[in-house]
Amino acid sequence: MVEFDRSAFIGKFQEEAAELLQRLNEGVIMLESTPDDRELIDRMMRDAHTIKGSSRMVGLIEISDVAHWLENIMVRVRDKEMAYTPDMSDSFFEALDAIVYLTDHSGVNTDGVVDLDGLKARLAVIAATGIEDDEAEAEEQTAAADKKALKKRTKKSKDEPDAAATAVAADGEQPVADDASGADRTPSHEELEHDDLSGTPSDADDQPHRLDREAELRTKVQATIRIRTNQLDNLLNLISEVVIAQIKSEQHLTEVRSMQVHAHETSQTWARIKSMLAALGRTELLEALGDDMNEIDRLLGDSRRDLAEFAKDYAEDTSRASVVINDLQEQGMRLRMLPANTIFQTFPRAVRDLAKQFRKDIELIIEGGETELDKKVLEEINDPLVHIMRNAVDHGIEDPETRLALGKPAQGTVRLAARQEGDRIVIEVSDDGAGIDPEKVRQSAVRKGYITAAEAKSVSDREAQYMIFEAGFSTAAIITEISGRGVGMDVVREFVVEKLKGSLDLDSVPGQGTTFKLTIPLTLAIIRALMLRVGDHIFALPTSSVDETLRIDPSEILKVEGREVVRRQRRTIPIVRLSDILGVAAETVQGGKVPIATISYSGQRMGFIVDAFVGEQQIVIKPLGTHLAKVENVAGVTILGAGQVVPILNVPDLMANARSRSGQKGRHAEQRAEREGPRTILICEDSFTTRELERSIFEAAGYEVETAVDGANGLSKLRDGLAPDAVVTDVQMPNMTGFELTRAIKNDANLKDIPVVIVTSLEREEEKAEGIEAGADAYITKSVFNQDTLLDTVERLIR
Amino acid sequence: MLGETAEEVLARRADSLALETFEEEVADRLSLLLFRIGEEWYAVRVGDVREIFQEYEITPVPGVPDFILGVVNVRGEILSVTDSAAIMGLGVVDQGVDGVPPAIVITNGPVASALVVDAIGDIAEITNQQLEPPITIIDRQQAEYISGSVYLDGTMVGIINIDRVLEPVVTGRH
Repeated sequence: MVEFDRSAFIGKFQEEAAELLQRLNEGVIMLESTPDDRELIDRMMRDAHTIKGSSRMVGLIEISDVAHWLENIMVRVRDKEMAYTPDMSDSFFEALDAIVYLTDHSGVNTDGVVDLDGLKARLAVIAATGIEDDEAEAEEQTAAADKKALKKRTKKSKDEPDAAATAVAADGEQPVADDASGADRTPSHEELEHDDLSGTPSDADDQPHRLDREAELRTKVQATIRIRTNQLDNLLNLISEVVIAQIKSEQHLTEVRSMQVHAHETSQTWARIKSMLAALGRTELLEALGDDMNEIDRLLGDSRRDLAEFAKDYAEDTSRASVVINDLQEQGMRLRMLPANTIFQTFPRAVRDLAKQFRKDIELIIEGGETELDKKVLEEINDPLVHIMRNAVDHGIEDPETRLALGKPAQGTVRLAARQEGDRIVIEVSDDGAGIDPEKVRQSAVRKGYITAAEAKSVSDREAQYMIFEAGFSTAAIITEISGRGVGMDVVREFVVEKLKGSLDLDSVPGQGTTFKLTIPLTLAIIRALMLRVGDHIFALPTSSVDETLRIDPSEILKVEGREVVRRQRRTIPIVRLSDILGVAAETVQGGKVPIATISYSGQRMGFIVDAFVGEQQIVIKPLGTHLAKVENVAGVTILGAGQVVPILNVPDLMANARSRSGQKGRHAEQRAEREGPRTILICEDSFTTRELERSIFEAAGYEVETAVDGANGLSKLRDGLAPDAVVTDVQMPNMTGFELTRAIKNDANLKDIPVVIVTSLEREEEKAEGIEAGADAYITKSVFNQDTLLDTVERLIR
Repeated sequence: MLGETAEEVLARRADSLALETFEEEVADRLSLLLFRIGEEWYAVRVGDVREIFQEYEITPVPGVPDFILGVVNVRGEILSVTDSAAIMGLGVVDQGVDGVPPAIVITNGPVASALVVDAIGDIAEITNQQLEPPITIIDRQQAEYISGSVYLDGTMVGIINIDRVLEPVVTGRH
């Protein structure tokens, strides 16, 4: 199994958690005065969610459980199912303090300092606030079930002195063995310190003592200073101002040089005047002017000399400053650089766990983990990467039997590689799995109404594969819980392009595997941009999205079905005027070539007509300011050398607007708008509690709910003409199982288009496979079941 | 943060709670910065004013509401420029023949914007007792932007509702 350096990221988790906990603490206080602050509630929910996820990732289950309850409460507050009241604060603070304690002690609840069971029970009570009687009954049952599960877990961890500590020990062994055998590196203090902490089960007795020693060690080896990110940002902001000032100095130098030229010309002119006067031979006049002429001679000579000296000094100063300022800028940027490993090293564990869950055999190869990139980029890239990796494990790699049958090695390979290419970082995630079958995507796209069956025929394989980036599109034949809570590839793509100003490319060969390629700028602060002019305005367009810049003859612009297009390399590219998209005045068109910038975005190309290309250069990205939270088509601004402020264009916005303008509006959007009235769900479930729980979830979300007590009952309702938007079914039911029901629905020409979601406690891979084989559209296991997953899955299927 | 004990966390929390109440109690007196829009006088709390500047260059930004004139670069920080007259439905601030109208940088928590006005007036000290509710004759669009009024030397001065004026701007899809 791959090496898993746990110590390194418990530290990372502590660092991350400290920040989040601080924010949550402040959040609780603020929430007391402004209980309706939507943004605050969202942020607190996300923060709790992040703690939950990260702590689970590093195996601190107790923290994860507590954070889970906090998140649940915040979700219900957000959904306005309950209001935040100040009397909840005590339990909130208690929970946060418990997390602080557990975080500081690497998850070890020494001598039961924290009353975890009591705390979780109190949080569960809060989480159930405001749920009405019969719903409350259902909720109580779930809560009771949860508590039972918790008790079981707590009991278990009591039997084995400390489950977490044991896990640490087991994992901790690996790096130690490595250090002993591998002579190529010396273990750092930190590693020693953490290995020390992890100990072995037999050390458990003197744990407190060890913790003291660890604290001692930590103060001694402290060679770093933690700085608030905004302080660092302020510093970098000032540095970029210095850079701009330096560019101005350089411009001044050229001005001084041209002054020198003028002075030289003045001298020469004066010399000519003098010789002409001498030639005139009017001696009395020359005598009268003599003194003044000598004075002018002297003054001109002096000022030329002074100017030359000044120019020389100024040039030297400027070039010295330029060297220093370049260094300053580079060092400044480096302050925020961290190796990619900071996030990469969480993946071996995550992939191992996922592979186990899906009964797959996967080797993860990590390359280029030492590549450094901006901390901000690292933070932003983590979520998209997690999603892509999950995708690779869940949908990419086949199970060992299938692989062997296909003549592939039983063990699948996922490769995560980072490298620097100029001022860009390329991160690739590739797998040698099934690849993306364009035909399946086409069918799915037709079924979901993105394209018509006729259009599907004209969609190229590559375009079809890129359709997985469309909103709400899932590549999977079936949705399982692991695909996440509504984070689709569309979100990943927008993240990479919009937030990171990068690009996301896809290369997939059916049967051979898939590669996702993320190209992102080295730092978030600086990117290359194409500067272009529209009317009186200059705009910057991130070069990462620009395919090519063309200057074409107006006669090459063709009209097809009322849209303007150009032909390039046997492809038809729709074109629009950037001035129309932005709503700014363009130049009145005159003859001559038309400048067009073509942009590729998720497999689609679009040309934008501009008035002129100004050039390409590195720019410093700045936000639009705190007041302008989001402006359509504009991602931020940059400040050019001369101090001029230039808006940076937002590629996803431009593409969306250009598409709707050129008549390619997403058909599904219109279709969705046509649908009026509430949607109907048929729930087939023999357990009264679960049935009513699911009913309340869907009714609360505005659905109309029909129920059936078993598969046969459900099927007869369907055949009697009930046309629900989706069927949610249990598996084990009397008379007809959920699998049988699914098969019956999918084999019935009238019913086969109704999405079927299987909700079950069966978790084994074979059972999931049976669900897939029966034709289910989604498969949710009850152990991870929560209302968000359920609603989200159904919503995704019925759009 | 990691080194803190639970007691320290609680102590810090108690401190910050105590602070807020304290500030409310001493806020009996109020300093207002007066400014003129057309023929009318308005004011912002001095505490909400970060700076005032006169020379600047506005860069227009496409896709923003009419009352946003664009953005300015203030020592490396980008600020939106809000037309005080346009946002309250009083026409537009006179751009003047020579240069640009004065701008007051107002802040509300993390949000800041440069508010352009026709002219900047004095600073007036008032007590909370002098504060009156907004005058009712003003139309509804304007009313949202006024949080109160005060009589100063026979002139009615409207106090700008900073929450409303500095409400973050969001345009387009999303």
